[in-house]
Amino acid sequence: MSTEVAHGLPRRRFSIKSVVADGVFFGFLFIVAFLTIFPLSDEQTLDLARNLLIGLVSFLAGAMLSFGLFQAGWTTLGYMIFRRASDVAPGETAKAWFKTFWGFQLFLTLGVFCVVGFQVTEFSFYELLSTDGFEGAKRIFGALSNPEPSVFAPGFLAIIETIFIAFIATMLAIPVAFVISFFCAKNIMGGSPLGLFVYGTLRIFFNIVRSCEPLIWAIIFSVWVGIGPFSGMLALMIHSVASLAKQYSEQIECISEGPVEGIQSTGAGFLQTIWFAVVPQVVLPFVSYTIYRWDINVRMATIIGLVGGGGIGTMLMMYQGQALWNEVGALVVIIAVVVWLMDSASAQIREALK
Amino acid sequence: MTATTGNGNILQIRNLEKTFPNGVKALKGVSFDVKKGEFLVVIGLSGSGKSTMLRCLNRLHDPTGGSVLFHDDDIVKMKGGEVRTLKKRIGMIFQHFNLVDRHSVLSNVLTGALSRTGSMTSILGLWPEADKKRALEYLKLVGIADKAYIRADQLSGGQKQRVAIARSLMQNPEILLADEPVASLDPATCHSVMEYLKKVNRELGITLICNLHFLSLVRQYADRVVALRGGELVYDGSPSAIDGAWFTKIYGEGAREVHVN
Repeated sequence: MSTEVAHGLPRRRFSIKSVVADGVFFGFLFIVAFLTIFPLSDEQTLDLARNLLIGLVSFLAGAMLSFGLFQAGWTTLGYMIFRRASDVAPGETAKAWFKTFWGFQLFLTLGVFCVVGFQVTEFSFYELLSTDGFEGAKRIFGALSNPEPSVFAPGFLAIIETIFIAFIATMLAIPVAFVISFFCAKNIMGGSPLGLFVYGTLRIFFNIVRSCEPLIWAIIFSVWVGIGPFSGMLALMIHSVASLAKQYSEQIECISEGPVEGIQSTGAGFLQTIWFAVVPQVVLPFVSYTIYRWDINVRMATIIGLVGGGGIGTMLMMYQGQALWNEVGALVVIIAVVVWLMDSASAQIREALK
Repeated sequence: MTATTGNGNILQIRNLEKTFPNGVKALKGVSFDVKKGEFLVVIGLSGSGKSTMLRCLNRLHDPTGGSVLFHDDDIVKMKGGEVRTLKKRIGMIFQHFNLVDRHSVLSNVLTGALSRTGSMTSILGLWPEADKKRALEYLKLVGIADKAYIRADQLSGGQKQRVAIARSLMQNPEILLADEPVASLDPATCHSVMEYLKKVNRELGITLICNLHFLSLVRQYADRVVALRGGELVYDGSPSAIDGAWFTKIYGEGAREVHVN
C-alpha cells in the first residue's frame, strides 16, 4: 500500500462492465448454491418464468456484492478484467496473484464450473471403460480399419463432387465478398453518417448470417432447391461470403493511411484511390484467406453432405445409416487423404505468398 | 500558368483556422502570402500546426475558418470536383514518402496522372504513351531512371522521396507542398533531396512550400521563412534574420539548435 500512497492517491475507477462481469460470476455461484440446497422438481424444471427469475435475482445479488466489494476496497475478478491500464489495484500489486481475492474468485468459479460441467455432460468413467462399450468400439474400429475396396471408386467420384462444391462456392463468394468488404471497413465508410449507417447495418447482417452454421443453411437450401450438390454449394457460398467479407474488411481496416493520402493528394477519384492505394496493400492477405476458405469449405462440404448437400457426405450418411462400417471406413480413408492434401497444399501456398 | 492574383502572390492566406472534431485547435487564424515561384519554408515545433496547415492548402484537411485565395478562387469554399481539380494543381510529398510499395517505381510515378485519366483506363493500366514517356523523363530529372521497373519497396529512403517528387511533377503542379520531406532521411541524403526540390523550384518555376525541422537547412534553401507556434504565425521574413532571440520565440525557452551538415 505504502508505495502507491507515495505516488499520490491510488486510482480506482468504477466501471459498469466489471460489475456486470462480477454479477455473472457471483450470480453463477449463487444459482449453483441455491439449486444444491433446493433441487428442482420435474415440474419446476419446465417453469421458465420461475427459473429466469432465479437467474435474474442471482445476477443482481452478484452485481450488488461486486459493488459492495469495490466500495470496501477489494479487487474482484471483474475489476481485474475490465480495469483501465491507468487503474491500480491497491494492495494487490505487490501480492502473488494466487493470494489475491480475484485469484481466489477465479479458482472458485472455474472449479464450480468444472463440477457442474461434469454433471451436465454425464461424464462417467464407468461407461467409458465398461466391457460392453469396449466390445462395440472394437467392432467399429475393426471394420473401419478394414475398408471395403469396392467403395473406393464411387467414393473417389463423390469426393471430386465435394471438392468442386467447395471450389464453386468459394469462387462465387470472392467477387461478392470483395465488393462488400469495402463497405464493411470502418476506415473507408467512417467519413459520413450515411457511411457509418451502411457499415453498421452490413456488420450486423453478416454477423447474423455467419452465426448460422452452414449446416443450417444446407437444410434451408435443400428444401428450397432440393437435395443435392446445388443446395450444398449455396449453403457454403452464403457462409463464405459472410466469413470472407469479415476477414477482407478487417484487412482493409489494417492498411496504412500513407499511400491513401499520397494517392488522394494527386487528385485521384474514389475508385482510383481504392484501386491504387488500398488494393495493393490487401491483395496478398486476400488471396491467402481465400485459399484457406476453400480448404475449410472442402471439409465443411463433407459435413453438409450429411444433411443432403451432395458429395461424399451424402454417401457417408447412406452407409452409416445401414451400419455398413467397412464401407464407411473406405470413405473415411478417402476423406482423410484429401483433407490432408488440401491442408498441406493450402499451407504451402499461403506460406509462399508471405 | 498565369497568376491572376495581383502583386505576384500565388496564395493569399487569411485567418486560416482548423479545429479538429475532438476540439483541438491546430490553427488559430493564420495569415500570410505566398509569392509565385518562391521557396517558402515553414518552421515550428512538432504540433505547432505546420502539417495541418499544408494539408489545409490542398484540402486533405478541410479548414474550419478563414480563406485561402488561389488564382482568385477561395480554396476553403471549394466542393467536390473543385477540390479534385485543386489537388491536381497542387502537388504534395510526405515525410514517409507514401508510395505504393508493391508497385513499380514507374507505376508509382504514373499515379501522378490519375486526375486526368479515366477511372477504368487507369485501373486497367492503359496509361497513354505520352504519360509513360513523361514519367520516365521526370525519373531522369530526379536521377533514378535506371530504377523505373523495380518495386518501390526496394528503394532507399532518399530514392523513395525522389520518386515521390517525380510523381507530384506528373500532375503539372503550380505549387508543391513538402511535409517534412527529409525528416526520415540521413543527413547526406537530406541534401540530395533538398537539392532536387531546389531544382524543381528554380528550373520548373514551381512554387515550393516546405515544412522543415533543421534551421541549417532553412538558411541554405529558403527564400523566405514563416514560423508557427501553437497554431499562430510568429515569424514572417528572411531566413538570415532568425537570430537567437527569434529562435527562442519560435522554439521556446531551453531549445537548442541542432545542425545537419
